[in-house]
Amino acid sequence: MSSAQAVGDLVSQPYKYGFVTDIETEKIAKGLSEDVVRLISSKKQEPDFLLDFRLRAYRQWLQMQEPDWASLGYPPIDYQNIIYYAAPKQQAKKASLDEVDPKLLETFDKLGIPLSEQKRLSNVAVDAVFDSVSIATTYKEKLAEHGVIFCSISEAVKEHPELIERYLGTVVASNDNYFAALNSAVFSDGSFVFIPKGVDCPMELSTYFRINSGDTGQFERTLIVAEEGASVSYLEGCTAPMFDTNQLHAAVVELVALDDASIKYSTVQNWYAGDENGVGGIYNFVTKRGHCRGDRSHISWTQVETGSAITWKYPSCVLQGADSVGEFYSVALTNNCQQADTGTKMIHVGPRSRSTIVSKGISAGRSSNSYRGLVQIGPKAVGARNYSQCDSMLIGDRAAANTYPYIRSQQPQSAVEHEASTCRISEDQLFYLQSRGIGLEEAVSMMVSGFCRDVFNQLPMEFAAEADKLLALKLEGSVG
Amino acid sequence: MTASLSAPGSSVMGRSAWLEPWLATLPAPSGPLEAVQVRGRRALREQPVPSSRQEDWRFTDLSLLQQLQQAPGAGDAAAAASAAALPPPAPGAFRLVLDGRSDPLDGVTLPEGLQALNPLEIGQGLGHTLAATGCEQHWPVELNHAAAGTLLALRVTARHSVRLELVSAAGAGLLPLRLLLVLEEKAALEVNQLLLAPGPGSISLVLEAHLARSARLHHGLVALGHPEAALLGHLALEQEPESSANLTAVSAGWGLARLEPRVLQVDGQAVTTLRGLQVVDGRQIADTHSHVRFNGPEGQLDQLHKVVAAGQGRSVFNGAVRVPREAQRTNAAQLSRSLLLSDRARIDTKPELEIVADDVKCAHGATVSSLQTDELFYLQSRGIGADQAAQLLQRAFCEEVLRELPAVARAWCPLEALQRQDGLA
Amino acid sequence: MIRSDAPVLLEIRDLQARVEDKAILKGVNLTVRAGEIHAVMGRNGSGKSTLSKVLAGHPAYTVTGGSVTYRGDNLLELDPEQRARIGVFLGFQYPVEIPGVSNLEFLRVATNARRGEKGEEELDTFAFEDLVRERLKVVQMDPAFLERSVNEGFSGGEKKRNEILQMALLEPVVAILDETDSGLDIDALRIVAGGVNQLAGPDNATLLITHYQRLLDAITPDYVHVMAAGRILRTGGKELALELEQRGYDWVDEELAALEAAGDRTPVEVG
Repeated sequence: MSSAQAVGDLVSQPYKYGFVTDIETEKIAKGLSEDVVRLISSKKQEPDFLLDFRLRAYRQWLQMQEPDWASLGYPPIDYQNIIYYAAPKQQAKKASLDEVDPKLLETFDKLGIPLSEQKRLSNVAVDAVFDSVSIATTYKEKLAEHGVIFCSISEAVKEHPELIERYLGTVVASNDNYFAALNSAVFSDGSFVFIPKGVDCPMELSTYFRINSGDTGQFERTLIVAEEGASVSYLEGCTAPMFDTNQLHAAVVELVALDDASIKYSTVQNWYAGDENGVGGIYNFVTKRGHCRGDRSHISWTQVETGSAITWKYPSCVLQGADSVGEFYSVALTNNCQQADTGTKMIHVGPRSRSTIVSKGISAGRSSNSYRGLVQIGPKAVGARNYSQCDSMLIGDRAAANTYPYIRSQQPQSAVEHEASTCRISEDQLFYLQSRGIGLEEAVSMMVSGFCRDVFNQLPMEFAAEADKLLALKLEGSVG
Repeated sequence: MTASLSAPGSSVMGRSAWLEPWLATLPAPSGPLEAVQVRGRRALREQPVPSSRQEDWRFTDLSLLQQLQQAPGAGDAAAAASAAALPPPAPGAFRLVLDGRSDPLDGVTLPEGLQALNPLEIGQGLGHTLAATGCEQHWPVELNHAAAGTLLALRVTARHSVRLELVSAAGAGLLPLRLLLVLEEKAALEVNQLLLAPGPGSISLVLEAHLARSARLHHGLVALGHPEAALLGHLALEQEPESSANLTAVSAGWGLARLEPRVLQVDGQAVTTLRGLQVVDGRQIADTHSHVRFNGPEGQLDQLHKVVAAGQGRSVFNGAVRVPREAQRTNAAQLSRSLLLSDRARIDTKPELEIVADDVKCAHGATVSSLQTDELFYLQSRGIGADQAAQLLQRAFCEEVLRELPAVARAWCPLEALQRQDGLA
Repeated sequence: MIRSDAPVLLEIRDLQARVEDKAILKGVNLTVRAGEIHAVMGRNGSGKSTLSKVLAGHPAYTVTGGSVTYRGDNLLELDPEQRARIGVFLGFQYPVEIPGVSNLEFLRVATNARRGEKGEEELDTFAFEDLVRERLKVVQMDPAFLERSVNEGFSGGEKKRNEILQMALLEPVVAILDETDSGLDIDALRIVAGGVNQLAGPDNATLLITHYQRLLDAITPDYVHVMAAGRILRTGGKELALELEQRGYDWVDEELAALEAAGDRTPVEVG
C-alpha cells in the first residue's frame, strides 16, 4: 500500500460516543405550529415577553426561505417530521445532583464529563444538557460567591428574567436568518452566563450538549454577558448517538461584551458525522455571534469542528466599540461524506477595531470543506485592521477544499490582509519522519497537529490536549 | 435553453422595460451571424436582466445600460472613432479598426501568418470556447449575440508570429464587437486592443481564442471610458498543453465596466497569466469576474488584480479558480490588491478557490488599504511633498500591471490617459 | 579502520530495484563491517542515491531482486521507521521541510523511538533538552533552531547540520549519508565532516554517498566504490577517489562498455 493510501485509511475510525442512553423521555408530538410554540413555552412556564418573542420569531420564520448559498448538498428537511421538545422524565426540580437520574450521570461519565462531587473536574464548572433540558450545573454556589451566574437558560428565565429580557435576541435578532428564527421560536435549553462588572471569572465554564433521541431536533440557546471589565473563558462540547437518520441541530449563541470585557468561547464539536457512506449524522446549522458592544472589548472564538454530517456555522464578531478586538481560530476536519461550510464574519464598525482570522481546514475522503468568511470595514471604522489566514490540507484526491473570503471595505484608513495556502501531507515528508523511527500514524498525527498548532494554542490549557487527542483519534486506524 | 424559461415574448415587460423596444430597433437577423442573432434575441427575451439578487451581480448595477433605449442600435462609431483621435498605428503592428458595422477585413491584405477563417471554420469554432468556459448563456454574451452584425475571425498559422492592433471607439448606442481567434501550433499572437468611449455609449466585447499546443497569446486591453459609457466584456480562452496566454486588462473612466476573463486549460500543462487594473472615481463601477479552470495536470496560473478606488467609485473583484481532481500538480497563485483612496468609495473582493486535487500549490492573497503611511513618510523625509509622494506611489502601484501590457499598448501611454480621466493624484 | 574479524553489519547481495517502470539498481554487492567507512562515488544517475533510499525503505522504490541483510536480519521486509529504530540512518541529500512540526518535538519523538527499541528509558522533555544541548555542540548549531519547524526556512548548510544532529541523537549503527557535502560551503563542510568523524567508532559504520573528492579530504574512507549503471563497477582504497578526481568519470564509461560487452557483472578489485 502506498503511503498516500495509508494516509487516507488513517482518517477513518469508529465514533466512540455513538451509544444511546435508555431512559424514559417525555416528548411532544412531531411537527411545528403556533400551538407547538405555545406548548413549549407553557411547559417551561415562561413569562409573556418570552412567549411573544417566540411567536414573533415563528411568524417571521414562516415568511423566510431556507438559505441555499453555502456549498452544501442535502435532501430537503421536513420540519413537520421533527420533535421539538424532548426531556428525560424526572423530578420537577433537582435540588442537588443526588436527585439526578443515575442513568444520566452515568451517561455523562461515559462521555468523560463526570458531574458528581467526587469526580468532577476541579477547575471547570459544567452545565450538562441532555436533549432539550439542562440536567445539572456544577459549582453554581462557588461561582455565585463571585457574583457569577451560570445556569441553564430556562432557569435564568425564572430567576433573572430582567437580564434575559434585556439581552436575549439583541445580538442575533429573531429574524436574522432562517435557522436563527427557527431556534428563536422553539429553543429548548442552553446555558446562561453573566459575569458582573469587574469580575474575572474564577474558573472555566463549560456546557456539554448531548443529543439522545433519534427524532428530536436540538435547538439550544446560549447567552453570555460580560459587564464592564469582566472576563470569562467558556467551552462547549457536543456528542450524539449514531442513528441512520439525520438529526437537526439549530443552535443560537449570543455573546455581549461591554467596555473592557473579554469573552473567550471555545467549541470542540464532535457530533455524530454519519457513516462512511454518508448515512445518518447531525445537520448542524448554528448561528453564533458576539457583539463587542463596549470600547476595548474582546471576543475570541476558537472552534475545533470534527463531527456532524453537515456544518453550517459562522461564529462572528460585530466590532462596535472603539479599539475592540475580534478573533476567530478554527480547525475543521471533514472525512468520508461530511460537508462543512464554516468561517466567520468580522464586521468592523468602531474606530481602530482589530480582527484576526486563522482557519485550518483538513479534508479527507470524499468530504467537502469550505471556508467562507466576510471582513467588512464600515465607513466609521477609521484605523481598523484585519489579518486573515486560511490554510487547507488535502488528504487524498477526492476531497474538496474551497475558500471564499469576501472582503468589503469602505474606509481608506484601514487595512485588510488575507492570505491562503493549500498543502498536503507529502510522501516525502512522511518518509522523512519514518526514516527517523516515527511510525506512520504518529507521523500523520504530528503533521496534522503541527498544521493546527496556531489554533490549538488558543484553546484553554485543559482542552488543548483534549482537542489534540480528538484529532489524533479521528486519524487513528489501520495501517496496511 | 432551460425548459422552464417562458416562451419568447411573454412575461418580459416589467422585468426589463427598456429591452423590448431596443430589440425592436435591431435590423432583422442576417449575415454570417444570423443564427447567433436569433439565439441572442430569444435569450434576452427569456432571461431576466441581471439584478443585485443574483450573487454574481450583487454589487453591479446595470441600469446605466438603459441609455441603449434612448439611442438604439449601433451608433455612429466611425464618427466617434475620429472624434476620439486614435493614436497612430505602432510600427510593425497590423491595425484593424472595428466599428461594429463594416467588415473589418474588407479590402485589407492580411500580413503573413494571418488568415481569415472561412464560413465553415467559423461555423465550427464560433461559440465553442464560450461553451467550454461555461459562459455562452451569460446575459452580456447574449446581448452581444443579439446585436453583433460583424465578426472578426482570424487564424494565426503554425509557427508564425503576428502583432495585431484592434481599435474601436463607441458612439451613441451599443457597439458590439465579436472576435474569434485561432492560434495554430507554435503560433504567437500579440493583440493590443484599444476600446474608447469619448462620450455616452456602450461597448459589448466577446472574444474567443483557441490556443493550440505551444501557441502563445498576449492580449493587452486598454479600455478608456466615459462616466456615461458602459463596457461589458467576455474574454474566453481555451488553452491546449504547453500554450501560454497573458491577458492584461486595464480599464478606467467607465460609468460601468464589467470584464469577465474566462480560461479553460483543456488538458492542463499550460501557463496562464492574468493581469487586471481597474480605476474608478466619481460614481463609476468597475467589476472583474475572472474564472480559471484546470481540466488536466500541471497547469499554472499567475494572477494579479489591482484596484484604485477614489471618489464614490465602486470596485468589485471576484476571482474563481477551479482545480478538479484531474488537475494534480497545478500551481496557481492569485493576488488581489486594492487601493482605497476615499471614504466614500467601496471595494468588494472575493477570491473563490475550489480544489479537489491534493498535490497542488494554490495560494491566494488579498489586501485592501490606502497608501502605506511608512512609504509616504519615507519619500517625504527625502524632501518630496505629500501630494507628489502619493502620486509616485499610485503610479508605482499601477505600473506593476501596466508594464505587462504588450509594448505597443504601452505606447498608448495608458497611465497618462488614466490620469487625465481620473482622480489619480 | 579495517578489521577482517569485525562483525558484518550490512550485507548487500545482487540488489536490484526500480522506480516506477525504470530499473535503476542492477545487481549491487557490498559488505560493510563494523568500524568501516565506505565511500560510494559515481556520476549523477549511476544509482548511488537510489541505493541509499532503498536501504532506508523509500516507498517509491521497488526491490525486484537480491537481498540486504542487516546484522543477520532481512532489512528489506521492515518499514522505514523500524529500520531507523534498529539503527539504520539515512542522511538526506535534500532534507524535507515540515511546516508546523517543531524541530525539538520531532527530535525527541525520534530519539525516544530509537531508545525504546534499544530497551532504554524514554527521555522526558527536560532530560531530552539536556541531551540535545550537549549534542548540538557536535554540529555547532544554535539552540534557536530547535524552536523552529523541521527544516523550514533552513539554509542548505543548516539543513545538513540538522541531519548530523539527528545522527548524533539517534546513534545509528549504519549511517548512510547521501550527498551530505552538496550545497555546503567550506566552513559548513568542515563542521559536518567533523561531526561525522566524531560519531564514527569501532562499533558502527558509515556509508558516504558522494560525487566529489572534497568530502573525502575531510573524512578518510577505508573503501571507495565506483558506481555506474546501477552496480558497483570497481572497489578500491582511498586512492581510487583521487584517481577519479584526476581522470574524471569518462574512463568509467569505457570500462562499463567493455564489461557489458563481456557480459560480466563482478566488480574489479584493485589496490
